Amino acid sequence: MFVLTGIALQALPGTDSGTLLTLFWIGFILITFFYQTRIQSYLALNDISRGLNRLKVMKDKARKEAIDYLVNVGKAPADPAQRVDQFLDYVTIMPVDIDPAGLVGKIDHIVTTNNDRVRAEVGALLGQSSPVTVSISENLLEVATSLNAIHKIVRHFYLLGKKTNSYFTLIQLQMLMPMIIQEADALLNAVDSFKVGQPVGDGIGPVVVSKYMLGKEKRVVAKDTVMAITEYKGRKLYVLKADGPMAYVGQPGVAMKKIIDEMGIKPSAIVMIDAALKLEGEKTGEIAEGVGAAIGGIGVEKFQIEEVATKAKVPLYAILVKQSILEAITVMRKEIAEAADKVVQVLNRVIEEKTKEGDEVVVAGIGNTLGVAQ
Amino acid sequence: MMSSVPGPDKKTKLLVYTIEECPACGQKTKRAFAVGDYVTKDGAQCTKCSSPTKVSLVYAESSKPSGQ
Repeated sequence: MFVLTGIALQALPGTDSGTLLTLFWIGFILITFFYQTRIQSYLALNDISRGLNRLKVMKDKARKEAIDYLVNVGKAPADPAQRVDQFLDYVTIMPVDIDPAGLVGKIDHIVTTNNDRVRAEVGALLGQSSPVTVSISENLLEVATSLNAIHKIVRHFYLLGKKTNSYFTLIQLQMLMPMIIQEADALLNAVDSFKVGQPVGDGIGPVVVSKYMLGKEKRVVAKDTVMAITEYKGRKLYVLKADGPMAYVGQPGVAMKKIIDEMGIKPSAIVMIDAALKLEGEKTGEIAEGVGAAIGGIGVEKFQIEEVATKAKVPLYAILVKQSILEAITVMRKEIAEAADKVVQVLNRVIEEKTKEGDEVVVAGIGNTLGVAQ
Repeated sequence: MMSSVPGPDKKTKLLVYTIEECPACGQKTKRAFAVGDYVTKDGAQCTKCSSPTKVSLVYAESSKPSGQ
């Protein structure tokens, strides 16, 4: 291009192409020097705008899938579209944390209120439906709500950056966009698994403990949480999981509190099995052992489990199955499913090594139990 | 300047299977997932010993061999 410009300039009378090219370069350097951030802001705006369009397509698709499920599978008696739109904008106001004493109890109260409201609303939308359909509808609406929130927040910062011409706001958002898109993509992919009730990667804990619960009498010990009593090499096992095959995560914290505080069980160990997010480079389905409460979420259940274990001086052991966020919320991959038998071996070894005959052990399979009964 | 926003996923097709296991002889049968399948659900009769089977796993695998 510069060669062509030079040739064109040579055609002008009284000009020297070398001088003009030098002037061109000086102009180019000056423009780059003074307008570099503006040019980069413009590029960032374009980039974010493209991502924002993808987020909009995703949130619209999730909303449509939720409505289609409520109508076609849930057989909603009336058009649920308007109610779903109201649902998507519903907010949960977290308690004030300037005085942190008793904060977990307050968060628990707010979250429980929200969960109860979601279930009541879905129940009202569907009329008579199986618990599996209601639980799947709850999860689909949660996915649609999350994507709606992600889109709104990204749009807010995009418009704010554009309005104030804030280079740093735009660049930060641009840098975060790949991770945001990746998470949104994972959420949208989860819809396909939820719709047909397929177990998700996060359900590996429930898959493992369901093997111990099979054929045993089950009792409800907390909301959406069941327990069975079984035996392994002279140890009495209290096995917990969320009530499947519904898409529940249950309340393992409340359940353990009930087992230890109310039922008077004195376990020698608590073993928790859960999915764990792998780091880049780690293999899907890898098993890791450790100590501590293996449970994700907002932190309420983890707090309750740690509190009850600390009070009763019961050691907490964790068995984790590594997977990515996408694998955790979409249909269970073969590598994860095949880890179940290995986890059973690890669990048996942990029980044998850490407890003795006659001891009592609490075993909890943590995670979404969609497509996994007991 | 290269775009930092990833393009749409070129999705690998995942095929979902249900594994039925015979508690008596341990034989495992793999079939395509059907809506309504869940882990611990009663399966078909075992082709080897005619005992009732149970669904032991439901999982997805890539339709093309993984090159990773």
